[in-house]
Amino acid sequence: MPKKVLILGGGDGGTILANRLVKKLPAGQVEVEVVDRSDIHWYQPGFLFIATGEADKEDISRRRPKLFRKGVKFTKAEVKKIDLDDRSVELADGTKKGYDYLVVATGSALNPDEIPGFEQGADHFWNYEAAMRLREKLFSIKEGKVVVGIGGLLYKCPVAPLEIAFLAEELFRKRGVRDKIEMKYVSPIDRAYAPHLLNRVIEEEMKKRGIEVVTFFSIDSVDPEKKVVNSLEGDSLEYDLLILTPPQQGAKVVRDSGIGDDEGWIPVDKYFLNIQGYDDAFAIGDATALPTPKTGVIAHFQAATLAHNLAVEITGKGTKEIFDGQSFCVIETGMSKASAQVSNYFYDVPPGLIPNWLLHAMKLAMNKMYWRCILSGMI
Amino acid sequence: MSDVQPTITVDARGVACPGPLTSLIKAYRKAKNGDIIEVLATDAGFKADVEAWVKRTGNELLSLTEENGVIKALIKVTAR
Ligand SMILES: Cc1cc2nc3c(=O)[nH]c(=O)nc-3n(C[C@H](O)[C@H](O)[C@H](O)COP(=O)(O)OP(=O)(O)OC[C@H]3O[C@@H](n4cnc5c(N)ncnc54)[C@H](O)[C@@H]3O)c2cc1C
Repeated sequence: MPKKVLILGGGDGGTILANRLVKKLPAGQVEVEVVDRSDIHWYQPGFLFIATGEADKEDISRRRPKLFRKGVKFTKAEVKKIDLDDRSVELADGTKKGYDYLVVATGSALNPDEIPGFEQGADHFWNYEAAMRLREKLFSIKEGKVVVGIGGLLYKCPVAPLEIAFLAEELFRKRGVRDKIEMKYVSPIDRAYAPHLLNRVIEEEMKKRGIEVVTFFSIDSVDPEKKVVNSLEGDSLEYDLLILTPPQQGAKVVRDSGIGDDEGWIPVDKYFLNIQGYDDAFAIGDATALPTPKTGVIAHFQAATLAHNLAVEITGKGTKEIFDGQSFCVIETGMSKASAQVSNYFYDVPPGLIPNWLLHAMKLAMNKMYWRCILSGMI
Repeated sequence: MSDVQPTITVDARGVACPGPLTSLIKAYRKAKNGDIIEVLATDAGFKADVEAWVKRTGNELLSLTEENGVIKALIKVTAR
């Protein structure tokens, strides 16, 4: 009897895991099913380039069923409930599914209501529609105050607010309106970006580009009528365009099933990724409560480790591997240059890489390699 | 200060990115005056960060200690 691996969520983590499993194991040994509510897969780093007008919908989206290798069953459905003790999952239409191994890869969900006024007053690019709205504004603003920075404190892709600040600044230059636009970057801590060495590089670049860093500014609320953003520390800033990271939480199904912490992130073993207290249920990607950044790179590496370990478990051959927390994030700084953040569990002081064209070229290559090489489980 | 009991505990051990200070601010968003927030962290930079934050925000740092590589900060919320 083949072992049934049920994967909830067909984003980065779920797709890579499914494709790697069927690549490693013959159909007689494993049956892989992925459930996702949507049959469109978005390359989420591309939302940045949607906002800056450098990419369009067809560049960054594909029909999901086409992304799976032969042997993966895709079911388009909303997962309503996960019962780890009963080893079952319930879909919105009431169908129940059992499993030998369950992998929760339901990502993170936006929760703009956490900041009063965010929805009406702030812009972001954490989904396609929001990125298109932001694009309109970036291309039409002629003068005024642009405030960029960290709104929701826990959000996917930690470097994304830095990137939009740099790329928006470059766009304003190209549009010939830069000298009529004042740019500020707000951060809840005493510097623009938490890792110290990298922060030195970032702040130097911001200085060069005329972006003022406003520190100790944790967003408390936004007043869309007055166009003012207020901080917990008691300060306020006026804005004409406000670009903030939207607050995020774990997926609704995780919160409804009581398998996450108070924000819906799932506690897992940091090395083997099994949901705490279970050896047949796992979580990967943004869904976990691990202290690692929420990035596609992490979801990719975790999927690779878990595919290997499930193959070892199912065949009884080989030795299991650990996930070492490895992360790698390119930071676009504009002007065809980029820096990067590299860290893992054992080396948590990311170096401050000076922006250069090579890292920028890597990001552009990644935009292309993503569909063919990464999602397919090739690399 | 051993008699002070925290009302909120933030376990930020092993949190390298976005950093334990961010975890503290997350808890602070939901806190009210009078709450005692306890933060546990392993990031060496946290000591200087939390001191600067308390000074800037006007909350009260009751104690800042380190034992077996774990930094413990007790903060009384007074500025909400
Ligand atoms: C603007 C932006 C820029 C980014 N830039 C980068 C970058 O440069 N580098 C990088 O590495 N990462 C980047 N990321 C982060 C990266 O996209 C995510 O970390 C990654 O997609 C996480 O993968 P995942 O599989 O955990 O979740 P996702 O890819 O988000 O997939 C989760 C899936 O679960 C499905 N789902 C959720 N709940 C249910 C349910 N109840 N029923 C059915 N289906 C459900 C969703 O439909 C979704 O398809 C960026 C993200 C954004 C938004």
